[in-house]
Amino acid sequence: MLLHLLNRSPQSTAVYRDLGEAFGVNDQLLLIEDACYAALPAASGVLAAFGGRISVLEEDLVSRGLAGRVSPAITVVDMKGFLALTETHERCVSWF
Amino acid sequence: MLNYALLVHGAPYSHQAALSALRFADTVVTSGHRLVSVFFYHDGVHNASALMSPPQDEVHLAEGWQRLHQDYGTQLLVCIAAGLRRGLLSADEANRHGLASHNVEAPFELTGIGQLVDAMLNNDRLITFAP
Repeated sequence: MLLHLLNRSPQSTAVYRDLGEAFGVNDQLLLIEDACYAALPAASGVLAAFGGRISVLEEDLVSRGLAGRVSPAITVVDMKGFLALTETHERCVSWF
Repeated sequence: MLNYALLVHGAPYSHQAALSALRFADTVVTSGHRLVSVFFYHDGVHNASALMSPPQDEVHLAEGWQRLHQDYGTQLLVCIAAGLRRGLLSADEANRHGLASHNVEAPFELTGIGQLVDAMLNNDRLITFAP
C-alpha cells in the first residue's frame, strides 16, 4: 500500500502513464503543485487508472485559483491531510 | 509519533519543491512528529546558501530550514558532491580547494550520500520533494 505523490501537470502524459502502470489496487494518489490541474473535471481522462483513490492538496489548488473547481470524485486535503496520508501509508513514492 | 526525513531535490525559488517541503516540514513538527533530517540533493543544495537574500516580504527558505534545526533539532544535510559541483562550500572545503570564500555554514552540514541511505533506513518515513 503506497502513497504516490505527483507534482506534474496533466500535460506530462508520460509520467501519468508510468504511474498508472505502477499503481497498486490499494494505493493512494495525492496531486500536489502543478498536478492540481489534473483535478479539474476536464482533465479526468488522465486519472482513469487510479480508481478514484485520489486526493489533491488544497493549498496548491488555492494558489492556482482552482479551489471549488475540483472533480467531485477527488478528495481535497490540506497540509494536515497530506501528513495524515503519510501516517497511514508506510511508503511514499514521488513522481516528477 | 513517527520519525520523518525529507529529501529535497529542488532549487529555492526555481520550482515549488523547496517551498512544498518546508510547508510539509512545518506541518510534521507542529503535529507531534519528529523531523529527524532534511537531505538536500542535486539542485536542492542551493537551499543551504548562507548568501541567500530574498526580498523581505518573501519566504526566506534558508532561514526556514535553520529555524527547524533551532526549534526541533532537525539535521540539515547537504550532499557534498552535489554542493562542490555547484559552488556550495563550507569553510573547510573552500580551504581544501584553495578557494577564497565559502557559503555553507552551520547548522547546514556537508555530508556524503551515506547519510541519505541512513535517513532512508532509520526513519519511519522518507518523503521526496523534487522539481
